[in-house]
Amino acid sequence: MVDVATIAFYLGVVAYSVAATLFFLDLARKDGSTIRAQWAPRVLAIAGILHAVHVVTASMFSRVCPIDSLHFALSFTALIAVGAYLLLRERFRLYALGAFVAPIALMFLIGAQFVGKESEAVAGVSRTLLTFHIAANVLGIGLFLIAGAAGSVYLVQERRLRQKKRVANWSSRLPPLDSLDRITHRLLLAGFPLLTFGVVTGAVFTHQLTSEGSTDVLRSLLGYSTWVLLAAVLLLRRTSGFRGRKTAYGTIAGVVCVLLVVLIYAVRAGGGSS
Amino acid sequence: MIVVVGLSHRSAPIEVRERLVLEAETLPDFLRELVARPEVGEALLVSTCNRVELVAAGRAGFDSNLSEVAKICVGALAVRAPGIEQHLYAHVGGAAVRHLFRVAASLDSMVVGEPQILGQVKDAYELARRVGTVGSVLHRTLPRAIRAAKRVRTETAIGNGQVSVPSVAVDLTRQIFGDLSGHVALLVGSGEMAEAVARLLKVAGAAIVVVGRTLARAEELAQTVGGKARPWTDLKQAVTDADVIVTSTSAPHHVIDYELVNSARRARRGKNQFFIDLAVPRDVDPKIEELDGAFLYNIDDLSKVVAETLSTRSREAASAEAIVGHEAEGYDRWADAEQATPTIVALRERLAAALEAEMNKSFRGRLKHLSADDRAAVAKMLESSVNRLLHQPTIRLRQAALERASEMLSLDQLSSAINELFAFDAESEAASAPDNVPPESDPPAPSDPNLALPSRARAVGSRR
Repeated sequence: MVDVATIAFYLGVVAYSVAATLFFLDLARKDGSTIRAQWAPRVLAIAGILHAVHVVTASMFSRVCPIDSLHFALSFTALIAVGAYLLLRERFRLYALGAFVAPIALMFLIGAQFVGKESEAVAGVSRTLLTFHIAANVLGIGLFLIAGAAGSVYLVQERRLRQKKRVANWSSRLPPLDSLDRITHRLLLAGFPLLTFGVVTGAVFTHQLTSEGSTDVLRSLLGYSTWVLLAAVLLLRRTSGFRGRKTAYGTIAGVVCVLLVVLIYAVRAGGGSS
Repeated sequence: MIVVVGLSHRSAPIEVRERLVLEAETLPDFLRELVARPEVGEALLVSTCNRVELVAAGRAGFDSNLSEVAKICVGALAVRAPGIEQHLYAHVGGAAVRHLFRVAASLDSMVVGEPQILGQVKDAYELARRVGTVGSVLHRTLPRAIRAAKRVRTETAIGNGQVSVPSVAVDLTRQIFGDLSGHVALLVGSGEMAEAVARLLKVAGAAIVVVGRTLARAEELAQTVGGKARPWTDLKQAVTDADVIVTSTSAPHHVIDYELVNSARRARRGKNQFFIDLAVPRDVDPKIEELDGAFLYNIDDLSKVVAETLSTRSREAASAEAIVGHEAEGYDRWADAEQATPTIVALRERLAAALEAEMNKSFRGRLKHLSADDRAAVAKMLESSVNRLLHQPTIRLRQAALERASEMLSLDQLSSAINELFAFDAESEAASAPDNVPPESDPPAPSDPNLALPSRARAVGSRR
């Protein structure tokens, strides 16, 4: 079982790397070839399958529910981001977004290896609630990753159109601005209730636990800041037509906060497991 | 080899080109009549708004008198439009192949890199196939031309981007809004280019609204482009409602100013707007570019994009020419190798016939005790022997056809030697003598067009 997990891991790393390379080569292409654009999502899908095989087999071997362990949760987050991208890419013409998603998934897959596989069960905290807490965060972060990538591509595309440079041969490579704005908003809408649930349950855990270190405080503060930031982005869009570039900046800031929270978790878990 | 006879934007002005129109209904008969001529074996016609070209091959395949075929094609076109002879060009042999490859690859088009020509060449080929006017030569040539064109499109950026101001405007609109269905495009003022942009936006799915100084003129234009007209007094509301605003008025001042766009933006709750200003002096205040979600391209900006595309295409044309040259060389090599085919086929037929005669004689005599299976095994063995025996001569003949300048014997010399040794000439002369003329029936067509051997006398040892 462990061999299958290891093989799937290494093949997944190779497949994500190939997919990322194909997406970047397609963005940088100078000819009219569509082969890279056709193969990049296929290879990404293969990478996603290998990634899933790795998560399932490795968690079975470690006898840990994937959702209970930060190691697998991180890996699972990337998997959700890949799945969401593959599901949405045709509908919203998010073709070039793969150039962001594939490296992020690769980073998470490799990064998770530095975090212990032990269950996150904490004394004094409801195991069921903890499972839902992690599941909501994993799903939410997966969606926010795509939203952040869409926001980044929006800024690139908008800047290019405003500067009026190199607009001639790029029409089919980057998604339309409206599609990027729409998908960013929808992913924020979908991820926000999950984030809210994660923040609320996190606050409950914080209340139940007596000993809090400085990293826990920082993590809590970042979690609340993310919630406030993304809530503001959604609210201002609703009330004041806050969209486009501003939404993109707000989303990217929110996703950076989310990633910092994950990083704090990872550093703490990595320190504990070493 | 082939000939290409015709005229294009390079050789004839539009007044001449428009005289040479072959309607789709009459085209099959035109092609059938052409291949009914004894010299012409195959023909197809590529007809676009910028060119009419006959691609033809002689009845004798690679050994045809192509000059004669070209003359017949010139005559066939000149009959349709008397007086066009001076504008017709004729490419023969390798030059014709290169020309056809360049045409299919859009290197000879008025707008280099335009994608329609490949489809038009394919259509011409398909029509000729249906009509039955293509044979072994064009069946080998057209797919190679299409392959060369596809390589050019995938391996170079010759087809990237748009090359007219209206199409660039619509392309940019798509980069902002994606699918245009459900979006509103406002046309302010009139003008040919604005009208062209509006038409393309309509085709792309946008709803068109026209605002003009006079409602009657706006209604007239709206009818032309398939939109709705609104009075000039509605301009502010129309700008608020529209996602794309195309302006082309003769006003000496800004028709759409910063305040108007800013208030429209607030009313639209920040939704993107794209302003296409085709007027000189400009209709739209350039300050609006400072507003979030407002994108402005004037005629200079659009022209620069067109120039950028054209510059890219001309750079890519050099790479495309290299691909076409490479493909044409491949065709030449194949055609050269084909020169040896008649000799090889005759040689194989002669040996196979001799062995078959001897084998049948033996089956009736000393080997009559053999079972059907044994006879089949002997026949198979002899067939293998013929193949093995002729393997080296076949290779040598094909090499001789390919390596014209080598030290080895030329194809003509080798073919003459074989011809002499096996007395093919004497046999073919006997076959063509009046006494030996067979009753009026066509010989059975070979199943493989490669092995088509119109007549041994012509096939053996002759060069194109």
